[in-house]
Amino acid sequence: MRFKAKRCGVLFSPPSIVLIYQHTETKKVRKRIIPVRNFSKYSDYSMAAERLKNHPRHRDYLECVSQSQLEKLHIILRDHMQGFSLEHSLASFHLDPDEDLNKLDDEELTRKKGQMDELFEKNRKRKDDPEFVYDIEVNFSKPVLEKCSWDEESDDEF
Amino acid sequence: MAGDVGSIPELDQKKYDSDEQVKIICLGDSAVGKSKLMERFLMDEYRPQQLSTYALTLYKHTATVGNRTVAVDFWDTAGQERFQSMHPSYYHKAHACIMVFDVQRKITYKNLANWYKELREYRPEIPCCVVANKIDADLKVTQRSFNFGKKQGLPFYFVSAADGTNVVKMFREMIKRAVDYKQNPSDFMDEVMQELENFDLEKKEDNSEADDDGLTAESPDVV
Ligand SMILES: Nc1nc2c(ncn2[C@@H]2O[C@H](COP(=O)(O)OP(=O)(O)OP(=O)(O)O)[C@@H](O)[C@H]2O)c(=O)[nH]1
Ligand SMILES: [Mg+2]
Repeated sequence: MRFKAKRCGVLFSPPSIVLIYQHTETKKVRKRIIPVRNFSKYSDYSMAAERLKNHPRHRDYLECVSQSQLEKLHIILRDHMQGFSLEHSLASFHLDPDEDLNKLDDEELTRKKGQMDELFEKNRKRKDDPEFVYDIEVNFSKPVLEKCSWDEESDDEF
Repeated sequence: MAGDVGSIPELDQKKYDSDEQVKIICLGDSAVGKSKLMERFLMDEYRPQQLSTYALTLYKHTATVGNRTVAVDFWDTAGQERFQSMHPSYYHKAHACIMVFDVQRKITYKNLANWYKELREYRPEIPCCVVANKIDADLKVTQRSFNFGKKQGLPFYFVSAADGTNVVKMFREMIKRAVDYKQNPSDFMDEVMQELENFDLEKKEDNSEADDDGLTAESPDVV
């Protein structure tokens, strides 16, 4: 990996994705503005994200930006084109731990997964990390396990 | 009715009757990390087949168990409710089941009861395990005990698809159990299905015999 993504965001006009990245060798931090072309309020955010991820001029820079992160950025751009505020977009990504996500449609689910991706990418160990180990086993069985409150109310169910 | 169960025209599920083939299903609520776990286990090896109408992603894997090579099909399903009607085809002929919840969302743990109940309606005996995913988000959860499945004696794993903790171990053990189960199946449903399928075959054979008869009746003229 030649570039390490630090942060990403969007510009509304012209619609673009902004990437702050670090060059892995020189350690220099740079900003790259990637215009999002042929994308309208009717476009498919997922296809657009995939197109961008594979774009010959940008794909090296976007290698460590996940598909769902790019989808999330496209959704923000499209929400704006549809007249929604940034607050609205950000609220739609908000995760309520008690919400039943099985009931959401594809796009709503993508919004939630986009949010989950932030932590996932942060904690992710990649194959090209020097300390990557394929088979990591950790034994968690402790002598005394705290009882889980999740079991309490309705033990009879189980 | 039972004959329709599990029929997905694009997929030949009869192959799961052969000795070298096992089918393992991955169940659980939306966004608990089923697909991320599959990807972490298979890394670059996988070439998934998407069947979006069935909300299904199929991953093929070759495993070595003891001294045998086994082809494993992983059925990665979607948690969304609108695909409920597809569930019977997921369960059909499965040899093991991986049930996943998200340690950050209690509702996904509570829902295990529903997933498990449904699984047992179709596959009363197949090996099953409970997987607590996303422990990287909060390692403290591993100090707690989660009692779902204890009574049924289901193995329990704390895992993280993100950092890889216990993912490979869990999959390897489940593959082994699927293969063991296959050698020694105890599900009655399997036999019923098998009989139904044989029944279909017999009918077809009858028909073809009838055709053959027709041919032989004409052949004397040819000779
Ligand atoms: N922190 C953390 N996040 C995870 C982990 N595994 C998955 N995630 C996050 O959870 C989101 C959902 O994961 P998926 O693998 O798509 O979930 P799924 O169970 O396949 O969901 P459906 O197919 O929609 O039913 C991902 O986008 C990740 O951001 C994990 O181990 N740790
Ligand atoms: Mg999935």
